[in-house]
Amino acid sequence: MNRREALRHTALVAGAAALWASLPTRTWAALAAPAGWDVADETLLTLIGDTIIPATATSPGAGAVAIGRFILTQTNDCFPPEARATLRRGLSDITASSQQRFGKNFSALDVGQRERVLTEYETQSVAAPHPFRHIKELTVLGYFTAEAGATQALRYDPIPGAFRGSVKRGPGDRSWAL
Amino acid sequence: MANHPTTAGAREHTFDAIVIGSGISGGWAAKELCESGLRTLVLERGRDVKHRDDYPTALKNPWDLPHRGKLPRDIVTANPIAKKCYAFDEATAHFFVKDAEHPYEQEKPYDWIRGYQVGGKSLIWARQTQRWSRFDFEGPARDGFGEWPITYDELAPWYSHVERFAGISGNYDGLETLPDGEFLPAWEMNDVEKHAQAKIMGAFADRHVIQGRCAHLTAPKPQHLAQGRGKCQARNLCYRGCPFGAYFSSNSATLPAAAATGNLTLRPHSVVESILYDDATGRASGVRVIDAVTKQSTEFFARIVFVNAACLNTNLILLNSRSARFPAGLGNDHGLLGHHIAFHNYRGSLWGSIEGFEDSYYSGRRPTQLMMPNFRNVRKQETDFQRGYMVFFGAGRAGWQSGASTPGVGAAFKDRITRPGPWGISMMMQGETVPRKENHVRLSTAQKDAWGIPQLVTSIGYHDNDERLLKDFLARGQEMLEAVGAKKIVTRDSKQNPGLDIHEMGGVRMGRDPKASLLNRWNQLHACSNVFVTDGACMTSTGTQNPSLTFMALTARAAQHAVAELKKGHL
Repeated sequence: MNRREALRHTALVAGAAALWASLPTRTWAALAAPAGWDVADETLLTLIGDTIIPATATSPGAGAVAIGRFILTQTNDCFPPEARATLRRGLSDITASSQQRFGKNFSALDVGQRERVLTEYETQSVAAPHPFRHIKELTVLGYFTAEAGATQALRYDPIPGAFRGSVKRGPGDRSWAL
Repeated sequence: MANHPTTAGAREHTFDAIVIGSGISGGWAAKELCESGLRTLVLERGRDVKHRDDYPTALKNPWDLPHRGKLPRDIVTANPIAKKCYAFDEATAHFFVKDAEHPYEQEKPYDWIRGYQVGGKSLIWARQTQRWSRFDFEGPARDGFGEWPITYDELAPWYSHVERFAGISGNYDGLETLPDGEFLPAWEMNDVEKHAQAKIMGAFADRHVIQGRCAHLTAPKPQHLAQGRGKCQARNLCYRGCPFGAYFSSNSATLPAAAATGNLTLRPHSVVESILYDDATGRASGVRVIDAVTKQSTEFFARIVFVNAACLNTNLILLNSRSARFPAGLGNDHGLLGHHIAFHNYRGSLWGSIEGFEDSYYSGRRPTQLMMPNFRNVRKQETDFQRGYMVFFGAGRAGWQSGASTPGVGAAFKDRITRPGPWGISMMMQGETVPRKENHVRLSTAQKDAWGIPQLVTSIGYHDNDERLLKDFLARGQEMLEAVGAKKIVTRDSKQNPGLDIHEMGGVRMGRDPKASLLNRWNQLHACSNVFVTDGACMTSTGTQNPSLTFMALTARAAQHAVAELKKGHL
């Protein structure tokens, strides 16, 4: 881990912890543990999700919205049974390539190593459907429809009051949430 | 006669008027009849839905929904038909009929989307409201497949009547193909839409791009505020029910107005089995109702009956209203009841990317799109297909949803997918279909529903004309998107089944000739004059417009006629 990555990693962990404590109970963490999965699966998925969408200066990462539990619950409830096998395959592929590449489990890698493992996996040709697409789709959905993602990473306006058709976009302006 | 009850029990079951159905047209019938002083019974087969109180998801944030709007798989697999509807999701599913609740037989594939509750589909409609033009009323006779017994000019004051009350936003565009109405201010276009409008109208003299017209209070007038309704907040969560009453529904507008007269009796859980025919008077005497919960049968009596059960259920009730005089269904002396069902052809859509406009964005969520009134075969037949289509447009910037297919991970990925993405422009069609005798519904001889009523058989399909019209739309759409400067243009035929448009019309069509139609120019059954049909079932053709506004205007007009005839002693 170089110095920059180390700093980022520290910021991530500290930031996530602070946010975790301040989060309201309306997160997936408050829901029942998803049937058929163990804590290790959920922890690994949360780390993967948090690598896809990490904490940055202005908003927390996907780990702060209990993304692992969201992905597992959504997979159980909203997808055909085959999606569970696809997701399992993804978790074991990612664990295997972490070991192969760095001799460690994904959770023991630093942020840069995690990003490398996932970037390589995303572009790797594996049996269809590609498990990473499933993980990414649900990470994106779960994060941007969570309170932290919608209100801090995007702009959330539940009652806009009007539609304005021509608004000058500032350089830092983010997209609208749902 | 039943209209002069002599016992308390009979009085409780006797009204001046009965309205079957509480959706968009039934709500109007109830309002107009109650306001004219008639004691009116509204029968609704579903549960009660009170404005505001019964919109449980209306104010929920995305994170308040257990699956963030996606439906759990057990609901999806149990509802192969309802799930196809774009508006059926975790926040709205309670307003849609589940497939198992009311099965039907599909002789040809047909997706029947229904809302059984007080307010019906007026809670979950798309709220787009355009008047028909004279070309739409005159077209069927010109093209030789039908004849409207009324003209645009006759309906125009009734359009005004319903528009003022409902609140319709739009621009005064001055187009003969899409007449102006009584408008509240129109919604704005975004910068790419303005660009598209200029390019298309510059390149094609006969094609007009206008802002959509919809039943949303953009600037409520005193009479809307008096209804307890407020300004549209541009949330675009309409299918959950609007807590502001900003879009028009029976629940927010017509039923409260009817109730305010003291003349309304609203009876939910009342499945109408049939309309009762009295041989002695030659008229309907009332209706037979089966309680949706207890399955007990009851009868109610009135001097007039308005049938507003929504197109196919209106057909079903009339077909099931069999008597010695009408063995094939009420008013059905010629076997045409249930035939000439038509719908809108929604199969075609296009998409293209737009470069530039990087600094331009928008705020709020607009509940309408741009429209292009029909420009095909307007004044004369000029293509290889009959009739035409309206086009809907919209432009917008890609949002976070594109993150699922954007490569990469980490902070740079996150930054990229939280910024407004490139612009895209989309187009879809709303094509007229020609009512054909073979497109029909009838009663099942084998299957009954949970209330002992025969199930409906649907035999409704596309025709070659629909394929040619679709092909033309995709070609014209492509040339228009090219004129706009769109790149990577994609054309699509969804091949969706009839029915998914949720614009089913006909089966009890209006017409001058009693031998070729079921209803006269006042929506009365030719053969049973105190029965009025004013929902989609009455339509002689479909036009290219969203139909609900026309159902409303026809209903108000027919109700006024019914009241006048009652006063004259003719009914």
